[in-house]
Amino acid sequence: MSGVRLRSRSSLGVSLLVPLALIALTMAVGANGTPSLRDTVTLILCNLIIVLGLQVFIGNSGVYSFGQLGFASAGAYTAALLTLPAAFAALQTPALPHPIASAQLDPLLAILAAAAACGLLAAVVGLPLMRTSTLAIPISTFAFLIVFYNVISNWDRMTGGSGGLVSIPRTTSIESAGLWAAAAVVTALAFKWSARGYRLQATREDEVAARSLGISVTGERLIAFALSGMLCGIGGALAAHQSGVLNPTTFYFGATVTTVTMMVVGGSRSVFGAVLGTIAVSTVNEVLRNVEGGAHFLGVVSIGRTPGLAAIGVGLILLATMIAMPDGLSGGRETGEFGRPRWLPGELRPRDPVVRIDRTGVAPIDRGAEPPPGTANGSGTDREALRAERISVAFGGLRVLRGVDLTLRRGEALGLIGPNGAGKTTLVNVLSGFLAPDGGTVNLDGIDVGGHSPARLARAGLSRTFQAALPFPHLSGLESVAVGAMGVGVGRRRAVAAAADVLERLGMREQAMLPAGSLPPASQRLLGVARAFATGPRYLLLDEPAAGLSETEGEQLVAILRDVLVDFGCGILLIEHEMSVVMSLCPRVQVIDDGVTLRIGSPAEVQADPAVVEAYLGSSYLAAANA
Amino acid sequence: MTELVQNLIDALALGSLYALIALGVTVIYSVMDMMNFAHGEFIMLSAYALYVLAGLPFAVAVGGALVTGVLIAIAAERVAFRPVRKADMSAQLVTSLAVATILQNVVMAAVDARPKSVATPSVISESTQVGAISVPNLEFLTLGLTAVVLVALGWLLYRTRAGLAMRAAAENFEMARLLGVRADRVIALSFAVSGALAAVVGVLLVMQTGQVSPTMGLTPVLVGFVAVTIGGFGKMFGAVLGGLLLGIVSSFLGAYLPEGLAPFRDAIVFSLPVAILIFRPQGLLGAATGEARV
Repeated sequence: MSGVRLRSRSSLGVSLLVPLALIALTMAVGANGTPSLRDTVTLILCNLIIVLGLQVFIGNSGVYSFGQLGFASAGAYTAALLTLPAAFAALQTPALPHPIASAQLDPLLAILAAAAACGLLAAVVGLPLMRTSTLAIPISTFAFLIVFYNVISNWDRMTGGSGGLVSIPRTTSIESAGLWAAAAVVTALAFKWSARGYRLQATREDEVAARSLGISVTGERLIAFALSGMLCGIGGALAAHQSGVLNPTTFYFGATVTTVTMMVVGGSRSVFGAVLGTIAVSTVNEVLRNVEGGAHFLGVVSIGRTPGLAAIGVGLILLATMIAMPDGLSGGRETGEFGRPRWLPGELRPRDPVVRIDRTGVAPIDRGAEPPPGTANGSGTDREALRAERISVAFGGLRVLRGVDLTLRRGEALGLIGPNGAGKTTLVNVLSGFLAPDGGTVNLDGIDVGGHSPARLARAGLSRTFQAALPFPHLSGLESVAVGAMGVGVGRRRAVAAAADVLERLGMREQAMLPAGSLPPASQRLLGVARAFATGPRYLLLDEPAAGLSETEGEQLVAILRDVLVDFGCGILLIEHEMSVVMSLCPRVQVIDDGVTLRIGSPAEVQADPAVVEAYLGSSYLAAANA
Repeated sequence: MTELVQNLIDALALGSLYALIALGVTVIYSVMDMMNFAHGEFIMLSAYALYVLAGLPFAVAVGGALVTGVLIAIAAERVAFRPVRKADMSAQLVTSLAVATILQNVVMAAVDARPKSVATPSVISESTQVGAISVPNLEFLTLGLTAVVLVALGWLLYRTRAGLAMRAAAENFEMARLLGVRADRVIALSFAVSGALAAVVGVLLVMQTGQVSPTMGLTPVLVGFVAVTIGGFGKMFGAVLGGLLLGIVSSFLGAYLPEGLAPFRDAIVFSLPVAILIFRPQGLLGAATGEARV
């Protein structure tokens, strides 16, 4: 399609190769060391897989789960029970069903089975948990960890109880652990940079903006949660096959704190960070663990037996990181993202016609026998409209909207104006599904869309922007806009092409590769508009796009909008209380005040209406003007 | 009938204990939007004060536990939580996890990883006959203390200037600051109150089990978190309700679960919030928090 890419090939290569090289280096150190070092390094590589599992969910969603070690534990038990020699199984787990007890699977098959079981378990557990809020997820996943621990500790005849299992075949070599870790790195990076990964990252950056782009927060979190559970399960399974022993506390609270620390120290948004953090924290941990048993330094300082020293060290590292370096060692970047991006995508130039966003893979709202979207141009037919009727909203006793009607036709620009507090934003919140009205109906192309979520409406072709820019600070401009297209189900490659096109049309070529958080407010604002355009809307609601901008910036924005309105051919509702902005863009204007419609007409008609003038300037002004 | 009444009193006593834990978590959450993992360690350290002060009269040791709880809480706020006050709630939660880990393992290194027994006055472990039923004195004490604590907290929040500042900060922290409420002081006060609540719980736990251990705070903090989740974040009344509910369910499960399932009581109890959250993602009371608003 086009040569536009989210990152250069060299950046991609470096991001992938550096963590893999780090793993290879770790393996080399371990393989050439003593047998005990070999064992230690193998376990570190198993831990790395678990930490990468944490990164997939926590790093991309920004939501903490303290339950992932439960999946590591589940994976370890699954793999252990599937490979335990029959005689030992009969002794340790007498109630285990015969097919499992006597399975004695090939270790590789057992690990694959553990991966599948943990992915499934995480999906089932996540189904209810992911529906709760960003704050309830850490708590309910923590509850899951304890529930799981409680079950395996007490189900003696199936799991060996709190005494755990011994004589698990020790089949994990440093090489196999390293290969699995490398595969986990590739998986984590591939996920992060997939359309799904970007959609999830968008919910981390700004949940509200993500929903307005068609992204289902719950759905994206659930998929990452399941993938994360799978990776953690593999790490746990390999670890059980490394150490040969397993009990309920192997993967419990202590391991949770340690692995979370590894992820945070490295920088949770980065896969490279997970690798770096695991190696760094493991090294400190090992040194401290040796000191725990008593040690002498240079024959001068001697320390007696101090249990808990390693854990204190981990706790202090975690605390120091949170206070002094919350983005971790990597700063949240992949290795290819260090330094200022010098690379600008090659073919950021407009094509003709505009890249058409067809929402492949997304179930559109059933439109009966109507023609597919995007075929009609100019002013739409009567049914091709966003139509709100008798909308009323009250906050407590305050009636903000009192029976407002609004019709936005395909291809027209309608201005919505009114003084502060007139109810403009509330109306947009109702139209875009963010607020359920107390009365009235909203119709999209003849379909009643009352009660539809913002994400569903965005996928059906209704997009909006907000009074605040709501940028995705850690995503580049190009990524931010591409997420808009990904949000409505467009594949990654096509989404990037569409984003490049939109950015070029809005004159934002220079900002495409910079993190959105580093851009000036005016650019962030424009990026918000670009993001909404990238969803390929048929109706676009712009809530005061010029708010907070200087007069010049506002005028530039209006000029840009005027140029692109025709290109995109969607119906636009422009909210402003600055009359002049609306007058210059919209042939039709609706004025609301105090929750009711005052007037609908051309800019000239509206301006001449005494009721409108009164609403804006008060009756005394009107009286004075008439006198 | 007698058995039911007996079980009901047991349940109320456990529910009160849980409500005290949940209140300790909520007092801090309501003011600075932080779920404090280290609350369990505030409880644990207060309990260890009883162990350390074992030779002294028990009342003095309890006073020592209260002072310990308050001081540890204030110190943790000053050293660890103040620097991350502006961070998002996930970062604050992880910071409190770090504090919990450090405190837990410092006790492990300084005392012992194994539980230590603590002698308590014998009157606490005795029971009083009320009609046909015999009620452990500890349950009277728990119920009585909870009532006293609730009244005291109510008085603090609704009858004092400091309480007014706390409520204002809980309502809208930034606005309260702009109106002259001193942020550092209000937050320190919240931690002091939370530490005192933790100490009460720590003392009651020691009386109940007769021992202390470095990990004794883990289950209580989960209890507190789950109760708060059920009750709706940041609502004092919700915390009390969530704690009571969790305690009552736990207690009745303990009494009526068939023998084979009895060990799984905690698993069932802690699955409860999931069941509730499926139907009410925002908790039993109050609007969704932790949920972004438009």
